[in-house]
Amino acid sequence: MEVTLKVNGEARSASVAPETTLLVLLRAHFNLTGAKLGCDVGDCGACTVIVDGQAVNACLMLAGQADGREVVTIEGLATRDRLHPLQKAFEDHAALQCGFCGPGAILAAKVLLDENSEPTVGEIRDALAGNLCRCTGYTKIIAAVKEAAAVLRAERK
Amino acid sequence: MKAFEFVAARDAQHAVALLAEHGPSAKLIAGGTDLLADLKFTPETPRVMVDISRAADLKGIALRDDGLAIGALVTHTEIMRSPVIRELFPALADAAHTIGAVQTRNLGTLGGNLVTAVPSLDSGPALVALEAQVMMLGPAGGRRLPLADFFTGPRETVLKPDELLIEIVIPKKNLGKPTSFQKFGLRKGQALALVNVAASVWLSKDQSSFVEPRIALGAVAPTIIRAPRAEAYLEGRAATPETMAEAGRIAAGEAKPISDFRASADYRRELVAVLTRRALEHARALALAAGKR
Repeated sequence: MEVTLKVNGEARSASVAPETTLLVLLRAHFNLTGAKLGCDVGDCGACTVIVDGQAVNACLMLAGQADGREVVTIEGLATRDRLHPLQKAFEDHAALQCGFCGPGAILAAKVLLDENSEPTVGEIRDALAGNLCRCTGYTKIIAAVKEAAAVLRAERK
Repeated sequence: MKAFEFVAARDAQHAVALLAEHGPSAKLIAGGTDLLADLKFTPETPRVMVDISRAADLKGIALRDDGLAIGALVTHTEIMRSPVIRELFPALADAAHTIGAVQTRNLGTLGGNLVTAVPSLDSGPALVALEAQVMMLGPAGGRRLPLADFFTGPRETVLKPDELLIEIVIPKKNLGKPTSFQKFGLRKGQALALVNVAASVWLSKDQSSFVEPRIALGAVAPTIIRAPRAEAYLEGRAATPETMAEAGRIAAGEAKPISDFRASADYRRELVAVLTRRALEHARALALAAGKR
Protein backbone atom coordinates (compact mmCIF):
# COMPACT_ATOMS: atom_id res chain seq x y z
CA MET A 1 0.00 0.00 0.00
CA GLU A 2 1.02 3.61 -0.62
CA VAL A 3 1.55 5.86 2.37
CA THR A 4 2.42 9.55 2.42
CA LEU A 5 3.25 11.41 5.58
CA LYS A 6 5.03 14.53 6.63
CA VAL A 7 8.25 13.58 8.37
CA ASN A 8 10.25 16.37 10.02
CA GLY A 9 8.43 18.87 7.85
CA GLU A 10 8.98 17.07 4.56
CA ALA A 11 6.42 15.02 2.62
CA ARG A 12 7.63 11.43 2.29
CA SER A 13 5.97 8.52 0.48
CA ALA A 14 6.61 4.81 0.36
CA SER A 15 5.06 1.63 -0.91
CA VAL A 16 4.90 -0.82 1.98
CA ALA A 17 3.34 -4.12 3.01
CA PRO A 18 0.21 -3.52 5.14
CA GLU A 19 1.76 -5.14 8.22
CA THR A 20 4.59 -2.59 8.24
CA THR A 21 4.80 -0.60 11.45
CA LEU A 22 5.57 3.11 11.53
CA LEU A 23 8.90 2.17 13.12
CA VAL A 24 9.89 -0.07 10.20
CA LEU A 25 8.66 2.56 7.75
CA LEU A 26 10.90 5.19 9.35
CA ARG A 27 13.95 3.00 9.75
CA ALA A 28 13.91 0.75 6.69
CA HIS A 29 12.12 2.90 4.11
CA PHE A 30 13.06 6.45 5.09
CA ASN A 31 16.46 5.54 6.54
CA LEU A 32 15.68 7.46 9.74
CA THR A 33 17.33 5.20 12.29
CA GLY A 34 17.06 7.50 15.31
CA ALA A 35 13.95 5.73 16.57
CA LYS A 36 15.15 2.41 17.96
CA LEU A 37 13.71 -1.08 17.92
CA GLY A 38 13.81 -2.18 21.54
CA CYS A 39 11.10 -4.40 23.02
CA ASP A 40 8.75 -4.06 20.00
CA VAL A 41 5.68 -4.28 22.30
CA GLY A 42 5.36 -0.77 23.72
CA ASP A 43 7.13 -1.27 27.02
CA CYS A 44 10.51 0.41 26.53
CA GLY A 45 9.79 3.62 24.61
CA ALA A 46 12.99 3.45 22.52
CA CYS A 47 10.86 3.85 19.38
CA THR A 48 9.03 6.96 20.66
CA VAL A 49 8.29 9.53 17.94
CA ILE A 50 5.88 12.46 17.82
CA VAL A 51 2.75 11.96 15.70
CA ASP A 52 0.44 14.96 15.33
CA GLY A 53 1.97 16.47 18.46
CA GLN A 54 1.70 13.37 20.65
CA ALA A 55 4.36 10.94 21.82
CA VAL A 56 3.61 7.44 20.53
CA ASN A 57 5.42 4.13 20.28
CA ALA A 58 6.18 3.76 16.57
CA CYS A 59 6.33 -0.03 17.02
CA LEU A 60 2.61 -0.07 17.88
CA MET A 61 1.29 1.96 14.96
CA LEU A 62 0.79 0.61 11.48
CA ALA A 63 2.19 2.62 8.59
CA GLY A 64 -1.36 2.80 7.21
CA GLN A 65 -2.54 4.37 10.44
CA ALA A 66 0.20 7.00 10.16
CA ASP A 67 -0.73 7.81 6.54
CA GLY A 68 -1.39 11.55 6.15
CA ARG A 69 -0.11 12.42 9.61
CA GLU A 70 2.75 14.59 10.76
CA VAL A 71 5.70 12.82 12.33
CA VAL A 72 8.70 14.28 14.14
CA THR A 73 11.72 12.06 14.79
CA ILE A 74 14.95 12.82 16.62
CA GLU A 75 16.50 13.69 13.23
CA GLY A 76 14.11 16.65 13.05
CA LEU A 77 15.26 18.37 16.22
CA ALA A 78 18.74 19.74 15.62
CA THR A 79 19.65 22.20 12.91
CA ARG A 80 23.04 22.28 11.21
CA ASP A 81 24.01 25.12 13.57
CA ARG A 82 22.79 23.91 16.90
CA LEU A 83 21.36 21.12 18.97
CA HIS A 84 17.86 21.40 20.39
CA PRO A 85 18.08 22.62 24.02
CA LEU A 86 16.98 19.16 25.18
CA GLN A 87 19.80 17.51 23.23
CA LYS A 88 22.29 20.03 24.59
CA ALA A 89 21.07 19.51 28.17
CA PHE A 90 21.23 15.71 27.81
CA GLU A 91 24.84 16.10 26.63
CA ASP A 92 25.77 18.56 29.39
CA HIS A 93 24.28 16.36 32.12
CA ALA A 94 25.68 13.11 30.70
CA ALA A 95 22.10 11.91 30.63
CA LEU A 96 23.01 9.42 27.90
CA GLN A 97 25.42 6.59 28.35
CA CYS A 98 24.81 3.98 25.65
CA GLY A 99 22.32 6.35 24.04
CA PHE A 100 19.79 3.75 22.96
CA CYS A 101 16.91 5.28 24.96
CA GLY A 102 17.95 8.85 24.14
CA PRO A 103 15.92 9.63 21.00
CA GLY A 104 12.73 8.33 22.59
CA ALA A 105 13.33 10.00 25.94
CA ILE A 106 14.17 13.34 24.30
CA LEU A 107 11.05 13.25 22.11
CA ALA A 108 8.79 12.30 25.04
CA ALA A 109 10.36 15.20 26.97
CA LYS A 110 9.84 17.53 23.99
CA VAL A 111 6.10 16.86 23.96
CA LEU A 112 6.00 17.53 27.70
CA LEU A 113 7.84 20.86 27.33
CA ASP A 114 5.71 21.88 24.34
CA GLU A 115 2.65 21.62 26.61
CA ASN A 116 4.13 22.55 29.99
CA SER A 117 6.98 25.07 30.10
CA GLU A 118 7.73 24.56 33.80
CA PRO A 119 7.09 20.91 34.73
CA THR A 120 7.62 19.60 38.25
CA VAL A 121 9.86 16.59 38.83
CA GLY A 122 6.68 14.54 39.27
CA GLU A 123 5.37 15.69 35.90
CA ILE A 124 8.70 14.88 34.23
CA ARG A 125 8.70 11.40 35.77
CA ASP A 126 5.13 10.86 34.59
CA ALA A 127 5.94 12.01 31.04
CA LEU A 128 9.01 9.72 30.88
CA ALA A 129 7.52 6.67 32.65
CA GLY A 130 7.29 4.93 29.27
CA ASN A 131 10.96 5.42 28.41
CA LEU A 132 13.21 2.85 30.03
CA CYS A 133 16.90 3.60 30.51
CA ARG A 134 19.24 0.87 31.75
CA CYS A 135 22.39 3.01 32.04
CA THR A 136 22.12 6.34 33.81
CA GLY A 137 19.24 5.62 36.14
CA TYR A 138 16.99 8.58 35.30
CA THR A 139 18.38 11.15 37.75
CA LYS A 140 20.50 12.80 35.09
CA ILE A 141 17.74 12.58 32.51
CA ILE A 142 15.34 14.38 34.82
CA ALA A 143 17.95 17.05 35.62
CA ALA A 144 18.53 17.53 31.89
CA VAL A 145 14.82 17.97 31.16
CA LYS A 146 14.53 20.50 33.98
CA GLU A 147 17.43 22.49 32.61
CA ALA A 148 16.16 22.35 29.03
CA ALA A 149 12.83 23.68 30.28
CA ALA A 150 14.63 26.63 31.88
CA VAL A 151 16.62 27.31 28.68
CA LEU A 152 13.47 27.20 26.56
CA ARG A 153 11.66 29.54 28.97
CA ALA A 154 14.55 32.02 28.81
CA GLU A 155 14.56 31.83 24.99
CA ARG A 156 10.89 32.66 24.87
CA LYS A 157 11.30 35.83 26.91
CA MET B 1 4.15 -9.92 11.96
CA LYS B 2 2.61 -12.12 9.28
CA ALA B 3 1.07 -10.50 6.24
CA PHE B 4 -2.48 -9.16 6.27
CA GLU B 5 -4.63 -6.86 4.19
CA PHE B 6 -5.37 -3.37 5.51
CA VAL B 7 -8.66 -1.58 5.01
CA ALA B 8 -9.72 1.67 6.67
CA ALA B 9 -13.26 2.23 7.92
CA ARG B 10 -14.78 5.70 7.53
CA ASP B 11 -17.27 5.27 10.35
CA ALA B 12 -19.00 2.65 12.51
CA GLN B 13 -21.47 1.53 9.81
CA HIS B 14 -18.64 1.17 7.30
CA ALA B 15 -16.70 -0.92 9.82
CA VAL B 16 -19.70 -3.24 10.25
CA ALA B 17 -19.97 -3.55 6.46
CA LEU B 18 -16.27 -4.35 6.16
CA LEU B 19 -16.52 -6.99 8.89
CA ALA B 20 -19.48 -8.57 7.07
CA GLU B 21 -17.63 -8.45 3.77
CA HIS B 22 -14.42 -10.06 5.05
CA GLY B 23 -15.89 -12.54 7.53
CA PRO B 24 -14.49 -13.92 10.76
CA SER B 25 -10.86 -13.73 9.63
CA ALA B 26 -11.10 -9.93 9.75
CA LYS B 27 -10.03 -8.11 12.90
CA LEU B 28 -10.63 -4.55 14.04
CA ILE B 29 -7.71 -2.37 14.99
CA ALA B 30 -8.12 0.90 16.91
CA GLY B 31 -5.17 2.17 18.98
CA GLY B 32 -3.32 -1.09 18.36
CA THR B 33 -1.43 -0.96 21.66
CA ASP B 34 -2.63 -4.40 22.76
CA LEU B 35 -3.39 -5.96 19.39
CA LEU B 36 -0.09 -5.26 17.62
CA ALA B 37 1.92 -6.26 20.69
CA ASP B 38 0.03 -9.59 20.70
CA LEU B 39 0.24 -10.18 16.94
CA LYS B 40 4.02 -10.06 16.99
CA PHE B 41 4.05 -13.18 19.14
CA THR B 42 1.14 -15.27 17.88
CA PRO B 43 1.17 -17.60 14.93
CA GLU B 44 -2.42 -16.67 14.07
CA THR B 45 -2.80 -13.42 12.21
CA PRO B 46 -6.04 -11.99 10.87
CA ARG B 47 -6.30 -12.04 7.10
CA VAL B 48 -7.73 -8.54 7.00
CA MET B 49 -7.14 -5.69 9.42
CA VAL B 50 -10.02 -3.24 9.55
CA ASP B 51 -8.63 0.05 10.83
CA ILE B 52 -11.26 2.03 12.71
CA SER B 53 -8.81 4.57 14.14
CA ARG B 54 -10.20 7.29 11.84
CA ALA B 55 -13.90 6.64 12.40
CA ALA B 56 -14.87 10.12 13.57
CA ASP B 57 -18.30 9.09 14.83
CA LEU B 58 -16.68 6.95 17.55
CA LYS B 59 -14.57 9.73 19.05
CA GLY B 60 -16.86 12.04 20.97
CA ILE B 61 -17.61 12.61 24.65
CA ALA B 62 -21.13 14.00 25.04
CA LEU B 63 -23.73 14.69 27.70
CA ARG B 64 -27.04 13.41 26.37
CA ASP B 65 -30.55 12.72 27.62
CA ASP B 66 -29.56 9.19 28.64
CA GLY B 67 -26.32 10.15 30.38
CA LEU B 68 -22.67 10.67 29.53
CA ALA B 69 -21.69 8.93 26.30
CA ILE B 70 -18.04 8.15 25.61
CA GLY B 71 -17.15 6.98 22.10
CA ALA B 72 -15.23 3.72 21.92
CA LEU B 73 -12.30 5.43 20.19
CA VAL B 74 -11.76 8.07 22.86
CA THR B 75 -8.15 7.66 24.02
CA HIS B 76 -7.04 7.42 27.63
CA THR B 77 -5.29 10.79 27.22
CA GLU B 78 -8.54 12.35 25.99
CA ILE B 79 -10.38 10.97 29.01
CA MET B 80 -7.73 12.44 31.33
CA ARG B 81 -8.11 15.84 29.66
CA SER B 82 -11.86 15.98 29.12
CA PRO B 83 -13.36 18.89 31.13
CA VAL B 84 -16.73 17.15 31.48
CA ILE B 85 -15.15 13.90 32.71
CA ARG B 86 -12.86 15.74 35.12
CA GLU B 87 -15.84 17.57 36.54
CA LEU B 88 -18.36 14.72 36.75
CA PHE B 89 -16.16 11.62 37.02
CA PRO B 90 -12.61 12.40 38.12
CA ALA B 91 -12.23 8.68 38.93
CA LEU B 92 -12.33 7.91 35.18
CA ALA B 93 -9.48 10.39 34.61
CA ASP B 94 -7.57 8.86 37.54
CA ALA B 95 -8.05 5.37 36.11
CA ALA B 96 -6.99 6.46 32.61
CA HIS B 97 -3.84 8.01 34.11
CA THR B 98 -2.76 4.63 35.53
CA ILE B 99 -2.87 2.87 32.14
CA GLY B 100 0.54 2.15 30.60
CA ALA B 101 2.55 5.30 30.02
CA VAL B 102 2.00 8.49 27.99
CA GLN B 103 2.72 6.71 24.71
CA THR B 104 0.15 3.98 25.40
CA ARG B 105 -2.46 6.45 26.59
CA ASN B 106 -2.08 8.59 23.47
CA LEU B 107 -2.92 5.68 21.16
CA GLY B 108 -4.88 3.30 23.36
CA THR B 109 -8.65 3.69 23.41
CA LEU B 110 -11.32 3.10 26.02
CA GLY B 111 -13.13 0.69 23.70
CA GLY B 112 -9.94 -1.21 23.01
CA ASN B 113 -9.16 -1.54 26.71
CA LEU B 114 -12.65 -2.96 27.35
CA VAL B 115 -12.68 -5.28 24.32
CA THR B 116 -9.26 -6.70 25.16
CA ALA B 117 -10.87 -7.65 28.49
CA VAL B 118 -7.83 -8.64 30.50
CA PRO B 119 -9.02 -9.15 34.11
CA SER B 120 -6.77 -6.32 35.35
CA LEU B 121 -8.02 -3.70 32.87
CA ASP B 122 -7.92 -0.32 34.58
CA SER B 123 -10.66 1.51 32.70
CA GLY B 124 -13.33 -0.99 33.76
CA PRO B 125 -13.89 -0.92 37.53
CA ALA B 126 -14.98 2.73 37.82
CA LEU B 127 -17.36 2.28 34.87
CA VAL B 128 -18.81 -0.91 36.40
CA ALA B 129 -19.23 0.89 39.75
CA LEU B 130 -21.11 3.61 37.83
CA GLU B 131 -23.34 0.97 36.19
CA ALA B 132 -22.21 1.96 32.71
CA GLN B 133 -23.78 0.39 29.65
CA VAL B 134 -22.05 -0.57 26.43
CA MET B 135 -23.53 -0.11 22.98
CA MET B 136 -22.58 -2.56 20.24
CA LEU B 137 -23.30 -2.37 16.53
CA GLY B 138 -23.66 -5.33 14.18
CA PRO B 139 -25.35 -6.22 10.89
CA ALA B 140 -28.71 -6.57 12.67
CA GLY B 141 -28.39 -3.18 14.35
CA GLY B 142 -27.43 -2.01 17.81
CA ARG B 143 -27.70 -3.68 21.18
CA ARG B 144 -27.05 -2.44 24.66
CA LEU B 145 -25.80 -4.29 27.74
CA PRO B 146 -24.56 -3.41 31.21
CA LEU B 147 -20.75 -3.30 31.06
CA ALA B 148 -20.66 -5.80 33.94
CA ASP B 149 -22.32 -8.36 31.63
CA PHE B 150 -20.08 -7.53 28.66
CA PHE B 151 -17.14 -9.51 30.05
CA THR B 152 -17.43 -13.29 30.00
CA GLY B 153 -13.89 -14.37 30.93
CA PRO B 154 -10.23 -13.43 30.64
CA ARG B 155 -9.90 -11.79 27.21
CA GLU B 156 -13.47 -12.82 26.39
CA THR B 157 -16.56 -10.69 25.85
CA VAL B 158 -20.05 -11.10 24.43
CA LEU B 159 -18.97 -9.24 21.30
CA LYS B 160 -19.58 -11.32 18.17
CA PRO B 161 -17.01 -11.38 15.35
CA ASP B 162 -19.27 -9.20 13.18
CA GLU B 163 -19.93 -6.59 15.88
CA LEU B 164 -18.05 -3.61 17.23
CA LEU B 165 -18.27 -1.74 20.48
CA ILE B 166 -19.32 1.82 19.65
CA GLU B 167 -19.88 3.63 22.91
CA ILE B 168 -20.02 3.50 26.68
CA VAL B 169 -22.83 5.31 28.48
CA ILE B 170 -22.92 6.24 32.16
CA PRO B 171 -26.62 6.47 33.02
CA LYS B 172 -28.13 9.82 33.83
CA LYS B 173 -29.06 8.81 37.39
CA ASN B 174 -25.34 8.47 38.15
CA LEU B 175 -24.11 11.75 36.64
CA GLY B 176 -21.72 13.24 39.17
CA LYS B 177 -21.96 10.26 41.54
CA PRO B 178 -18.90 10.45 43.80
CA THR B 179 -16.56 7.67 42.69
CA SER B 180 -13.04 6.59 43.54
CA PHE B 181 -10.60 4.37 41.65
CA GLN B 182 -7.76 2.70 43.54
CA LYS B 183 -5.02 0.66 41.89
CA PHE B 184 -2.10 -1.21 43.36
CA GLY B 185 0.72 -1.94 40.91
CA LEU B 186 4.40 -2.60 41.52
CA ARG B 187 5.39 0.73 39.96
CA LYS B 188 3.49 3.86 38.98
CA GLY B 189 3.97 3.72 35.21
CA GLN B 190 3.80 0.74 32.85
CA ALA B 191 2.47 -1.60 35.54
CA LEU B 192 -0.48 -3.95 35.51
CA ALA B 193 -2.76 -3.81 38.53
CA LEU B 194 -2.25 -6.51 41.14
CA VAL B 195 -5.69 -5.39 42.24
CA ASN B 196 -7.84 -2.43 41.27
CA VAL B 197 -11.03 -1.35 42.97
CA ALA B 198 -13.66 1.30 42.36
CA ALA B 199 -16.46 2.47 44.61
CA SER B 200 -19.29 4.88 43.90
CA VAL B 201 -21.55 6.18 46.66
CA TRP B 202 -24.31 8.64 47.31
CA LEU B 203 -24.83 9.87 50.87
CA SER B 204 -28.14 10.29 52.72
CA LYS B 205 -29.56 13.84 53.09
CA ASP B 206 -27.86 14.29 56.46
CA GLN B 207 -24.71 12.84 54.86
CA SER B 208 -24.34 10.25 57.60
CA SER B 209 -25.02 7.03 55.72
CA PHE B 210 -24.45 5.36 52.37
CA VAL B 211 -27.04 5.23 49.61
CA GLU B 212 -26.63 2.98 46.56
CA PRO B 213 -23.00 2.05 47.22
CA ARG B 214 -21.49 0.18 44.29
CA ILE B 215 -18.16 -1.65 44.48
CA ALA B 216 -16.25 -3.16 41.54
CA LEU B 217 -13.17 -5.35 41.91
CA GLY B 218 -10.58 -5.92 39.17
CA ALA B 219 -7.82 -8.52 38.70
CA VAL B 220 -9.28 -10.85 41.35
CA ALA B 221 -11.64 -12.96 39.20
CA PRO B 222 -11.88 -14.00 35.53
CA THR B 223 -13.70 -10.70 34.89
CA ILE B 224 -14.34 -7.49 36.79
CA ILE B 225 -16.87 -8.36 39.50
CA ARG B 226 -19.21 -6.41 41.72
CA ALA B 227 -19.09 -7.05 45.49
CA PRO B 228 -22.83 -7.44 46.19
CA ARG B 229 -22.50 -8.56 49.81
CA ALA B 230 -20.30 -5.59 50.70
CA GLU B 231 -22.75 -3.30 48.87
CA ALA B 232 -25.73 -4.76 50.77
CA TYR B 233 -23.87 -4.38 54.06
CA LEU B 234 -23.25 -0.69 53.39
CA GLU B 235 -26.69 0.23 52.04
CA GLY B 236 -28.27 2.65 54.52
CA ARG B 237 -25.48 2.04 57.03
CA ALA B 238 -23.60 4.83 58.80
CA ALA B 239 -20.42 5.85 56.98
CA THR B 240 -17.76 5.35 59.65
CA PRO B 241 -14.15 4.12 59.54
CA GLU B 242 -15.37 0.83 61.06
CA THR B 243 -18.15 0.19 58.53
CA MET B 244 -15.89 1.04 55.59
CA ALA B 245 -13.18 -1.30 56.89
CA GLU B 246 -15.78 -4.03 57.41
CA ALA B 247 -17.06 -3.56 53.85
CA GLY B 248 -13.46 -4.05 52.70
CA ARG B 249 -13.22 -7.34 54.61
CA ILE B 250 -16.53 -8.51 53.14
CA ALA B 251 -15.39 -7.59 49.62
CA ALA B 252 -12.14 -9.53 50.17
CA GLY B 253 -14.30 -12.60 50.85
CA GLU B 254 -16.13 -12.06 47.56
CA ALA B 255 -12.93 -11.91 45.48
CA LYS B 256 -11.66 -15.07 43.80
CA PRO B 257 -8.06 -14.22 43.03
CA ILE B 258 -5.38 -16.49 41.64
CA SER B 259 -1.72 -16.75 42.62
CA ASP B 260 0.75 -15.90 39.88
CA PHE B 261 4.24 -14.46 39.52
CA ARG B 262 2.96 -10.98 40.38
CA ALA B 263 1.26 -11.78 43.69
CA SER B 264 -0.29 -14.57 45.73
CA ALA B 265 -4.05 -14.98 46.08
CA ASP B 266 -3.81 -14.19 49.81
CA TYR B 267 -1.94 -10.97 49.11
CA ARG B 268 -4.53 -9.96 46.51
CA ARG B 269 -7.38 -10.61 48.97
CA GLU B 270 -5.65 -8.41 51.52
CA LEU B 271 -5.28 -5.72 48.84
CA VAL B 272 -9.00 -5.93 48.07
CA ALA B 273 -9.79 -5.19 51.72
CA VAL B 274 -7.43 -2.22 51.85
CA LEU B 275 -8.27 -0.75 48.44
CA THR B 276 -12.02 -1.12 48.97
CA ARG B 277 -11.77 0.75 52.26
CA ARG B 278 -9.66 3.47 50.63
CA ALA B 279 -12.06 3.75 47.69
CA LEU B 280 -15.01 4.14 50.04
CA GLU B 281 -13.19 6.72 52.15
CA HIS B 282 -12.20 8.68 49.07
CA ALA B 283 -15.64 8.51 47.45
CA ARG B 284 -17.23 9.60 50.74
CA ALA B 285 -14.80 12.54 51.01
CA LEU B 286 -15.74 13.57 47.47
CA ALA B 287 -19.43 13.34 48.37
CA LEU B 288 -18.93 15.48 51.48
CA ALA B 289 -16.97 18.07 49.48
CA ALA B 290 -19.71 18.16 46.83
CA GLY B 291 -22.29 18.63 49.60
CA LYS B 292 -20.47 21.74 50.83
CA ARG B 293 -20.55 23.38 47.40
